[in-house]
Amino acid sequence: MKKVARKARKTGALLLCTTILLLSACSGGASSNQAASGEPYDENSKANISWLNILHTASPPTETILNKIEEKTNSDIQFSWIPDASKEERINTSLASDSLADIVTLTMLDNSSVRNSLKSGLFWDVEPYLNDYPNLAKISEDTRRSASISGTLYGVPFQKDLARNGITIRKDWLDKLGLETPHTTAELMEVARAFTEDDPDGNGKDDTTGFVDRSDLTYGAFKTLSSYFGTPNIWEVSADGKMTPEFMTQGYADTMDYMKELYQKGYINQDFAVTAKTDQQQKFAQGRAGIYVGAIFDSKNLLNMAKGIQDDMELVLVNDITSTGNEADRAIWAANNGIGGLLSFPRSEVKDEAELKRVLKFVNDLLDEDVYALMTYGIEGTHYTVDDQDAATIIDTDLWQQEVQPFSASRPKESGFKIHDADPLKKESDKLIADNADYAVLNPAYSLESETYNTQGSELQKTITDATYKYILGELDRAGFDAAVESWKKSGGDAIIAEYEAAYKEIQS
Amino acid sequence: MAKPVNVSDASLLTHDRQAVRKRGFGVRKHMLLYLMILPGFLYFVVFKYFPMGGLVIAFQDYQPYRGIMGSEWVGFKHFIRLFTEPTFFMLLRNTLVLFAMNIVFFFPLPIILALMLNEVRHKFFKNSIQTIIYIPHFMSWVIIVSITYVFLTVDGGVLNELLAAVGLPKISFLTSSEWLRTVYIGQIIWKELGWSTIIYLAAITVVDTQLYEAAEMDGAGRLRKTWHVTLPAIRPVIITLLILKIGSTLDLGFEHMYLLLNSLNREVAEIFDTYIYTAGLKNGQLSYSTTVGLFKGVVGLVLVMLSNRLAKKMGEDGVY
Repeated sequence: MKKVARKARKTGALLLCTTILLLSACSGGASSNQAASGEPYDENSKANISWLNILHTASPPTETILNKIEEKTNSDIQFSWIPDASKEERINTSLASDSLADIVTLTMLDNSSVRNSLKSGLFWDVEPYLNDYPNLAKISEDTRRSASISGTLYGVPFQKDLARNGITIRKDWLDKLGLETPHTTAELMEVARAFTEDDPDGNGKDDTTGFVDRSDLTYGAFKTLSSYFGTPNIWEVSADGKMTPEFMTQGYADTMDYMKELYQKGYINQDFAVTAKTDQQQKFAQGRAGIYVGAIFDSKNLLNMAKGIQDDMELVLVNDITSTGNEADRAIWAANNGIGGLLSFPRSEVKDEAELKRVLKFVNDLLDEDVYALMTYGIEGTHYTVDDQDAATIIDTDLWQQEVQPFSASRPKESGFKIHDADPLKKESDKLIADNADYAVLNPAYSLESETYNTQGSELQKTITDATYKYILGELDRAGFDAAVESWKKSGGDAIIAEYEAAYKEIQS
Repeated sequence: MAKPVNVSDASLLTHDRQAVRKRGFGVRKHMLLYLMILPGFLYFVVFKYFPMGGLVIAFQDYQPYRGIMGSEWVGFKHFIRLFTEPTFFMLLRNTLVLFAMNIVFFFPLPIILALMLNEVRHKFFKNSIQTIIYIPHFMSWVIIVSITYVFLTVDGGVLNELLAAVGLPKISFLTSSEWLRTVYIGQIIWKELGWSTIIYLAAITVVDTQLYEAAEMDGAGRLRKTWHVTLPAIRPVIITLLILKIGSTLDLGFEHMYLLLNSLNREVAEIFDTYIYTAGLKNGQLSYSTTVGLFKGVVGLVLVMLSNRLAKKMGEDGVY
């Protein structure tokens, strides 16, 4: 009897131990810090870098390119990938539980919890160090200011092209119907009508529409069209410091009417309010529509996707549409004022200045010409060839998509390098995107603070987004839309306006 | 002879009881039994009760970098915000309406189907039907919503093409608030109907066959036997499942609704789960999300207690 009890006690103790061990093993894995933290870093030593990064492709890249990058930057990189679609919750929980890495890619600088943790001093202020590194020193003063929060730069900004949006149109359809490339919104409407009604693909069936759009008022057609109607980029500030949200301007109302006309006359896919981006691009590639509004460089993808389905497809890219026909009215919104986010360095992981300097050197090395080529095109001979003009041609698209493409969103800078794409469409879109910069409309409130916006902004925005869709689909009239705007103002919009105006005044003085 | 035995029995019992009182639950004596409970006990403490402590952040302005100890206490601020939010009643209504529809339209179906399957005499046919109707349960909501999209979309959706072919107007199932609830419940039925019959079928198999024979002797037909024998026999199972179902009232399935939700059906589609995600987690408002979640949990608890009491009044056992 006693023996049994003792045995049982022993087993129990063992069981308990195992349980505790298991538990501690679980928690231990998450907090395992990078090796050798605390030891001072030598500039030229091999860096051990963990990187919490955003993945824009379906699967993470294979080792091939990573090994090359590690070789070039003398580092050992450990990626933790977060799919772009779930970045909000994942980044927020990582911040909340302090399970970060040496480098954290923060792309949503307008998200309140990201802003709060940046302001709380969780991350290093990098501004004083930037000029010590040749590539980082080149980051312009404007970019640094736009990427700052309350005047402090909490990471190395991703430098994106200012305004990347425009219109892609089926050139072969235009030619077939004897139409000119449109330059005003009225001409664009006419093209949409002809593409819908005049059988541009000549199959005798009524199976085409003008526009094909997706359920996204920002990156889809709506916001780009709204720029053509002179709508400000999210906020407008008057000379005397008054702030107006875009949806209270005439341009926004005109855009809604334009979209409404497209919808009611059937010149746009009727289910655009529930269409995903991939479906939208598929429809275009299958020849079911002829006008695509989005990032101009999507044109290359669209043409690739159409291979074998619509072999006659020829595309023309347009970025100079206005509603008035005056060159002076040209405008195009700049997404996040050209800031793609920050590469931030948490103090909990990057313990001291020496370590920070080593990580910054690594980021600096990522901006080198050959690392850029690696992250953009891959390995010469395997993924691409290059001619004496530095024009690169991808040889194996599938391999490139698998091994190289996932890195492209991690490049701290996307243009301004010697090597460039030999693809004529890509070249053309690069040119138009560069053109766009001269007409870019910035959001004056981008780096301003509003407590109400931080807590309720996105909830409030839903009111407006819903009302906009309903107006376009004819479920709300003008009075109904105005009522939604009123409710926006009452439930916090007025407070946001007041807070932004105060913040703006402070910056101006 | 009988008396002393009785006395010693009684004394033994009291002795035992005293022993229990003295040693507290007889830990030594039943060591092995307690050990067997231990892993389960630890599981609940570590993964269920310990995390519940985190609920206190509903009464704080929780800032991750300050931690629970360092964050500011704000009392009922978040609760006041929730109850004064103009969308609160919309959320409550949508959640309750969908819950009611779930109970009314979905809950009886597996019972009916199980009864029908029970009547099938052909073994092979019965088994194949069972297997086939289980399959949708193993598909994720993403797949089911995508299939629905292909069927119901206005541009080239199968159903709308059919409607157009017979000269009827197209219906925008996916972007109208009138159809959302129908589509939602329809998808649940399609996915879960077969799977939900399992427990009922199991309950039916243990019904005493003598009862059927007796009923047959009395001249009962198939319908009569189902009504007077099978249904009363599985009544406790039905009640238990109903109470459990009510317990997960407000868990209408975040993933499912989030996939169906869009700007045009939000007024009927936004439920607490999606609201927690969009208003709370996406914005990093952890305290506010916790508040909404806590409220949801309390409503669910109250409903379970009410339905359990009701079940007991009706002479059933209830779940506790």
